[in-house]
Amino acid sequence: LPACPPPALLPYVPHMPPAALPGKLTATTFALERPCCVFDPHANASDTVWLVVAFANASAAFRNPPSRADVPPYERLPTAHSYMTLETAAAAYACSAPSPAVLRVGGDTACGDQCGRDPCNGPLPSPGPYRVKFLLMGCHGPKAETRWSDPILLRRGTGGTAVPP
Amino acid sequence: MCGIALTAECIFFVSDPHGLYPLLEATENDDIYAAAWIGIFVGFALFALSILGIVGVIKCNRTLLLVYIILMLITYAFEMASCITAATHRDFLTPNLFLKQMLERYNKSDTVNNNDKWMTEGVTKTWNKLMLQNQCCGVQGPSDWQQYMSAFRTTHSDADFPWPRNCCVMNDKGSPLNLDGCKLGVPGYYNSNGCYDAISGPMNTHAWGVAWFGFAILCWTFCVLLGTMFYWSRTEY
Repeated sequence: LPACPPPALLPYVPHMPPAALPGKLTATTFALERPCCVFDPHANASDTVWLVVAFANASAAFRNPPSRADVPPYERLPTAHSYMTLETAAAAYACSAPSPAVLRVGGDTACGDQCGRDPCNGPLPSPGPYRVKFLLMGCHGPKAETRWSDPILLRRGTGGTAVPP
Repeated sequence: MCGIALTAECIFFVSDPHGLYPLLEATENDDIYAAAWIGIFVGFALFALSILGIVGVIKCNRTLLLVYIILMLITYAFEMASCITAATHRDFLTPNLFLKQMLERYNKSDTVNNNDKWMTEGVTKTWNKLMLQNQCCGVQGPSDWQQYMSAFRTTHSDADFPWPRNCCVMNDKGSPLNLDGCKLGVPGYYNSNGCYDAISGPMNTHAWGVAWFGFAILCWTFCVLLGTMFYWSRTEY
């Protein structure tokens, strides 16, 4: 079998939105700016874009899954130190798509208990730091990926006590 | 006349038009309310005594005037105590006090006894109403819920509730206009102001109103008393 060509490395670096939103970084969630126009040269209509979330010290060891069946789910974060979520059609990130400007990682509290195959966007269990990248997956495997983001450290302040009078 | 005015003013404060009394009650130091209650009774007493005084002057009756003077002095002392209490306890109401109370009591689920439960329910209902009516969130802002640990945080997950639902801008039916926008903190979908102004404004007016109006009445009553004593010393049996 011919080896699949390695996925194209796009220069885009995922980052948090620059706007001053008080909810963009909490103890268990964080927000990312939605990449617009990044995957268009490589994407077909049937491709999907995934978000890879990994602990910052495990990001170098992450290997792109060869197919959708090998995608590490949210539940395996403690053991695999990474997971993939936010499976979206590539058309949603196209240049012409009218989209919300922000993606929220960790906002779905209802999943995680089910043993379903749907990708879960559950709250992050620890402050991290985490690194993320976007991965464009086609029928035959990963086609393109962005660079890893800078480490994102979640808020740890809610462990403190209230102010004294 | 002054008596009636004082009574009216203190009844207004005691009726708690802004609904903030539960917050004071939970601080276990509601002396400015006690001061207002005393103000009501003092005002009424002043009114009754003034009738007595007028009768005594008309009838040139020395004993009646003596009774009037003594009762006025007692009332005077009460009103003085009430004014001083209201003035000094104003300094007790700081942002940190309400912040600590809000973080410890709002939506607290494990209350130890009935008194605790009563105060917790009072604080929770008052804050819910406050945030809804004044379009505000927290004491200094929604970041209060993110920066500090709270009783609310133990029962509501950070991912679903970075801050309480009432911090969201609501539509006509009482549900959030845009829940995701509210959770993220997008301007227009959440209340970014703190509620401290909405709390301290009425409470300060209350404390200053009771204190300074009371002092003004005391000054006026002092003059009237001096005049009466002078008149008493000049009348004969």
